[in-house]
Amino acid sequence: MNSERRIRVLVAKPGLDGHDRGARVVAYGLRDAGFEVIYTGLRQTPEQIATAAMQEDVDVIGLSILSGAHLGLTRKVIEQLHKQGVEDIPILVGGLIPESDKPALKEMGVAEVFTAGTPISSIAAFIKSHVAPM
Amino acid sequence: MKRQDDLERIARAEEQWKHDVLEPRVKRFQLEKSPTRFYTPTATRDFDFLEKVGFPGQYPFTAGNNPFDFWRAYAEAGAKMGMRPEYGGSGAAGRYSGYGTAEDYRDYLLRMQSLGSRGGPNVAFDLVTQCGYDSDSPFATGEVGRVGVAVDSFRDFQVIYEAFTGDRDIDRVPSNFTINAPAAVIIAMYAALAEKRGIAPAQLRGTPQNDILKEFIARGTYIYPPRPSMRLFRDTLVFCRKHMPKLNVTSIGGYHIREAGATRVQDLAFSLANGIAYLQAGVDAGLDIDDFAPMFTFNAFGGSMEIYHEIALQRAARRMWARTLKERFGAKDSRSMMIRQPITAHIGCTSTTLQRPLNNLARAVVGGIASGMCGGLPAVYPPFDEPLGLGHSLESIQLQMDATRILIFEAKVADVVDPWAGSYFMESLTDETEAAAQAELDKIEAMGGAVAAIENGYMPRAVALSAYERQKRIENQEDFMVGVNCFMGDNELDVSVQRMVDELYDAAHMATAEERQLAKLAVLRRERNGKAVADGLAALEMHAKDEAVNLMPDLIECVKSEATLQEICDVLRGVFGEAEPVRV
Repeated sequence: MNSERRIRVLVAKPGLDGHDRGARVVAYGLRDAGFEVIYTGLRQTPEQIATAAMQEDVDVIGLSILSGAHLGLTRKVIEQLHKQGVEDIPILVGGLIPESDKPALKEMGVAEVFTAGTPISSIAAFIKSHVAPM
Repeated sequence: MKRQDDLERIARAEEQWKHDVLEPRVKRFQLEKSPTRFYTPTATRDFDFLEKVGFPGQYPFTAGNNPFDFWRAYAEAGAKMGMRPEYGGSGAAGRYSGYGTAEDYRDYLLRMQSLGSRGGPNVAFDLVTQCGYDSDSPFATGEVGRVGVAVDSFRDFQVIYEAFTGDRDIDRVPSNFTINAPAAVIIAMYAALAEKRGIAPAQLRGTPQNDILKEFIARGTYIYPPRPSMRLFRDTLVFCRKHMPKLNVTSIGGYHIREAGATRVQDLAFSLANGIAYLQAGVDAGLDIDDFAPMFTFNAFGGSMEIYHEIALQRAARRMWARTLKERFGAKDSRSMMIRQPITAHIGCTSTTLQRPLNNLARAVVGGIASGMCGGLPAVYPPFDEPLGLGHSLESIQLQMDATRILIFEAKVADVVDPWAGSYFMESLTDETEAAAQAELDKIEAMGGAVAAIENGYMPRAVALSAYERQKRIENQEDFMVGVNCFMGDNELDVSVQRMVDELYDAAHMATAEERQLAKLAVLRRERNGKAVADGLAALEMHAKDEAVNLMPDLIECVKSEATLQEICDVLRGVFGEAEPVRV
């Protein structure tokens, strides 16, 4: 693994929601699990997130949303990625996501939804099994 | 006080007990050390009851702010009358609420009043408003009216208050505003509303959250850098003392800091550091400490499941704040020295679990016992379905209220004030908590205080690292959460309960709120007097550049001219700059 390129993960907080405990904890955890993690910080627009994903050449994007605006914000991030010609970066969503919204997110193209109580090791395992570093 | 030879006798007996009783048992169970502890008078050798505890309602307030609280005096009478409190509210303000446009929220408030709600508005603003943007900002898309009501201008603010007239007018009921970075603008709107209604601002009661420092440490709805943010705080403080003396100037929150991951000690130290910075701002502005300190409130420290420690935190917090006010700030009025907060100990929302959520009722009851035992209403909080993200159900709220009632009337937990006073264990734990928090507070003071410890990233980073440490302890099973990292086997039953969700907010209105708000904003921009807006903003800009000027009069003029919230905040962004997010 050391000689190979490490899997690059973008952890992003779309929208104005400032609850970033989850985003930061996941960022630290994935870093310790051997991933290269880029955390955007608060208040990112979908455009900024798509651009960061392109510029940082990431292998996976994690969105953390606790404001209830997850459906709209996730859709917009995906639209922006498509606009910029990115079709193949898996998107993970975490935060306060009601069970009943999970199918809609999956339908949009979200690879997996992780809610409260998920061990970071599960997220890491999911990424490893779904992403091969280029 | 224990005589020295008495203590020596106990110390010798304790050693004997360890040797004869404890250690053989530890060996028998093949342990390295005892899994439990036992406390004797030797744990509090220098304990001076009057100095450390005193009496409830007297300095240093360790045992509580009052010999008994207001609610306790009339609890039985309330029970006989079947009084149903407006849950979620604090003081005379009603339940924390807000959604959609001002019209949607006004109609909601009127509906609540028709159902018996008596309090003033306890306003939740949407994130767009909390971050100082207008609903037509690119940042606003998808967020308008979602976590609270959208307020773009004084016009919106007035629409909300159409629900408060006559015997509910603003000189009769208080208002709470959960807003921080633009708090000065909202206070200006409140003052302008009073003027328009011919009510003296001095009659206005209420509590703006107005606690910007914790936004940098947790929660994240800051706009300007910390120093100009503190200038705005000072302006609100000085203006309120002069013109709106019944307004509680700030509601300082440790709750948000703990929920963001802080340890108990960090929560206590950081909250007090923020409080000290606000007190200093008042003193630096030339105010007398006893004139303004009594108008500070705390919205709560955070909580956890470790109830012994949470009780100790509340006792230590009261003592530390009282000493700080008396010794450091020279306060003489005992009202300056008290921590006024709606609830004392409680569990955190982060103590609740999505897994087997009914267990959260058991957890919240534990928090209620803790608050009942440390000078507060037994606060069974939050409702068990909190982590589901679906709103609180009628069932969860019923169970929450009943649990509180059971603790008060059946278990009688609140019939003794500070039942732990003098306990060798609790007094030593209180001392330990205080010493650890004081050490942390000293560290922050050495950096230059709360503002400096935000600017250099210390406090926000410490909170994030503590959150990660907690996560690691859970994943390594050093800390246990039932149903999350233990007891998850196939034999465990996933208990569920019927949930009828109280449809407080009209989903159809929520869905169209953004569209309607944008239309209203377009009308506002067309109808208002553009010159008055420009003049007001120009004066604001000029005065913002002069640190010595209090901006409240300009803010009131801007608000009255119907400048939008973002136009006002943009002028200040231009002068003050914007806060850089902390990198972790």
